[in-house]
Amino acid sequence: MKTSRAWLQKYFENPLPSADEIADAITFHAFEIEEVVGDDLIDVNVLPDRAADCLCHRGIAREISAVLNVPIQNDSLRAETPVFRPTSTLAVSIEDESKCLRYIGAVVRGVEVGPSPAWLKEALESVGQRSINNVVDATNYVMLDIGQPLHAFDADRLVEKDGAYSIRVRDSRPEEKITTLTGDEFTLPAGTLLITDANSDAPVGIAGVKGGIAAQITTATTDIVIESATFDASLVRKTSQKLKLWTDASQRYQNSLTPELAAYGMKEVLELIQKVAGGEVEGVVDVCPNTDGAGTSVGRRESQNGSAGVSVALGKINSVLGSSYSVSDVEDVFNRLGFEYTSANEAFEVVPPFERRDITIPENLIEEVGRILGYEHIAPVLLPKLATAPDQNRYNGIERIKDFLIDRGFTELSTQTFATAGEIGLANPLDQTKPALRAGLAENMQNALTRAVSVAPRVLGPASEIKLFEIGTVFKKDAEYLSLVLGYKQLVGKQSATLLAEVISQLEAEMIGVAAERPAVASAEVTEILLADSNLAQLGASYAPGKIRAGAYKSFSIYPFALRDIAVWTPERTEQDEVSNIIIGIAEQEDFELARIDLFDRFSKVIDGKERISYAFRLVFESFERTLSDEDLNPLMDKITSALNATVTNGEQWEVR
Amino acid sequence: MNEGRLHPITVAVREIADIFGRMGFGVAYGPELEDEWHNFTSLNVPADHPARDMQDTFWLGDAVATGVVGGTSAVGIEDRRAEDEKNRVRNVMRTHTSPVQMRYMEEQMEKGILPPYRIIVPGKVFRNEATDATHEAQFYQNEGLVVGEGISLANLKETLEQFFKEYLDKDAKVRFRPSFFPFTEPSVEVDVWFAPVKDGVAQAGRWLEVMGAGMVHPDVLENAGIDSKKYQGFAFGGGIERLIMVKHGVNDVRNFHSGDLRFVYGMDTIPENN
Repeated sequence: MKTSRAWLQKYFENPLPSADEIADAITFHAFEIEEVVGDDLIDVNVLPDRAADCLCHRGIAREISAVLNVPIQNDSLRAETPVFRPTSTLAVSIEDESKCLRYIGAVVRGVEVGPSPAWLKEALESVGQRSINNVVDATNYVMLDIGQPLHAFDADRLVEKDGAYSIRVRDSRPEEKITTLTGDEFTLPAGTLLITDANSDAPVGIAGVKGGIAAQITTATTDIVIESATFDASLVRKTSQKLKLWTDASQRYQNSLTPELAAYGMKEVLELIQKVAGGEVEGVVDVCPNTDGAGTSVGRRESQNGSAGVSVALGKINSVLGSSYSVSDVEDVFNRLGFEYTSANEAFEVVPPFERRDITIPENLIEEVGRILGYEHIAPVLLPKLATAPDQNRYNGIERIKDFLIDRGFTELSTQTFATAGEIGLANPLDQTKPALRAGLAENMQNALTRAVSVAPRVLGPASEIKLFEIGTVFKKDAEYLSLVLGYKQLVGKQSATLLAEVISQLEAEMIGVAAERPAVASAEVTEILLADSNLAQLGASYAPGKIRAGAYKSFSIYPFALRDIAVWTPERTEQDEVSNIIIGIAEQEDFELARIDLFDRFSKVIDGKERISYAFRLVFESFERTLSDEDLNPLMDKITSALNATVTNGEQWEVR
Repeated sequence: MNEGRLHPITVAVREIADIFGRMGFGVAYGPELEDEWHNFTSLNVPADHPARDMQDTFWLGDAVATGVVGGTSAVGIEDRRAEDEKNRVRNVMRTHTSPVQMRYMEEQMEKGILPPYRIIVPGKVFRNEATDATHEAQFYQNEGLVVGEGISLANLKETLEQFFKEYLDKDAKVRFRPSFFPFTEPSVEVDVWFAPVKDGVAQAGRWLEVMGAGMVHPDVLENAGIDSKKYQGFAFGGGIERLIMVKHGVNDVRNFHSGDLRFVYGMDTIPENN
């Protein structure tokens, strides 16, 4: 909800603090702030529980009043319930009273449609709205001010019969169409609630969502019909979803506005239209089916005990918050929020104002106390000691399998749950090429193994083999299972055809009942078994997983690495580090990195009567900016070769082989 | 023989389970493919309610059994299907680990075990939203649930502060900001203050939003058959990848579940001897 500090100011006698200070106060006592722009725009992230009362300046002003403890003025919702002059020139009928809870229609004659006055334009523009004309602007202003969506129809475009216009709120007919104010034509799904001109049976608006172009306000308009209504929240939500049409109106309606608000909305908009566009109110029709007619008790959600009030005891408040607030602390909160209440014997009976539909149970009041007084006053309190030890057995069982595997040189991977094919499909996949849930882990492991081979020199150095595993959930038609997959690839020498089978046998021998069934996929490279869920807890019953400490993360380059080998003869007693330090020192001067240096061969030999040692290193280079080429590496290798050849220790020259 | 490596999620979960274990928390599990009742409705997120928009959801294409892990659930597949049919329940990839709260409480009550309860739920969750360096469609959450007599928001604050002191920074502090989650009341956003360590040097301390939390909504307790007049509790939930990212300096969340060996080897791991 974009709010303007200047707009909010009308609710306060004394100047408000800066936008940043307001934002700070709201952040710690009411809502998250999306952003503050300059010293005026404060974008408040109003969540669904408060959308019925806080998607408007008046609601945010009410919060600021409570949080900063400054009195609010000009609160139009605390004025007397509006009473309107009736008219016979407009008839309103509602087909299904469960879908339209209240419909107030007004006829205003003789308006002069034109540009809005500067203050109105500025107010709308300050919260990112576009000024259209004085009549439409007035409806938008009142919505953004007190939260009631409003709509104005050009009365001249409605059919008048027997001296009266007739509005009917009804369901759409099969294949019925409407063109909205923005010129978009919709073929309406069954059950869409419409505002129609009953005299012509033509739709003039999609209830709670968007007006139709048929009765659009133009500069030629002189007589208007104003709508201030309450529609069923989930119905408006469904319509918006089906039409993919979300509007300022539907956003408010879907959050269960109260029918009481409609009367205040009508009162405010009629006053404003007459002020900015002239005209005269001929009269108002108020169809409010679900009340006694007085309009005061409509729509109030009853609390659990059936009364309009919500009760809470001081003891419960302090028990839930872990606080030691007094009766007067709590009373102070209710006063600041403008709640009516009675207080007796350390208990409170609160009648929330009609727009606070979120207050229905004691915990709602506890939250009001907690946040208004401030959660910073809640001091940490240790949980009571438990008599029994916690049950982490199933988790320990899974970790025991992992420890078994890392002890045997297997490294754990994690892969995506979504797959190209499977036994269960998604209705709305994010990636159209992966519309299914994985039914096994083998395919992901095979892919990971292939990639691991290509990055092995960078990650593992001159390793002779790659061993991987994953434990993850797989989805089959009947149920989901925890699955274990092993991947193995011999890089040097012959691939063992039986290694994975042997590891599985050892696992089963050490952990009886670990596997639910024989391997689903068994090859020399990839083997998968489903774990027997029922036995995991037993496997972990007396097991404590190994503790691991991890260091800072070093990211890898997205560009391919490059390899170079170098071997050098050195005199006897030359240490490995003496050689590698020279190489590292020279490589450090480049704008790319020596990612790793591994000794892959060392041997000694007597040459010309002297013992000599040969060191052979594999160098892995990478750049975070580019793919390395021979132009990068050849000059560097030349430099390294020269430096090593120029090295003399114990009076003997080194020699690159 | 070379030792293999554990994935960074496992390393983190071991640390998390260890810290919470010493505070008396068990570790609980539930299905990743959930029914609408456990993922939403039982947690006070009714159908056709704007609260559903708070989480972008993957829906399942066809009716399948859920709530059955390893084929051992007390509720048979046929029973569950019949029940689903009756409730017109649709299936989802769980959008949070909170449904496991409900499943755990239901299970305990079925066994006749009354609170106190104290569990964490580390597990994979799914959100149907575009991915970038800080958003993934699948990630891990750690959920916490404590139910007992007189459990308070002050207990929540102490529990989380203790966790972050051990996991992130011995001087960590926790603060609450008001929020809304349908399954907790009051609801709070949890910020933690800590000084990140970069290249071995402690940086300036800062506040970081790390999880949502609150006091378990009485409707949620009642939905599990627990007397909300007698028992109250707190719950919390937050992303595990995010914690690892700030603790170890990982720059792209998409690395975690990419099956890339380079990522697992991105941080050195040292076995710790108690």
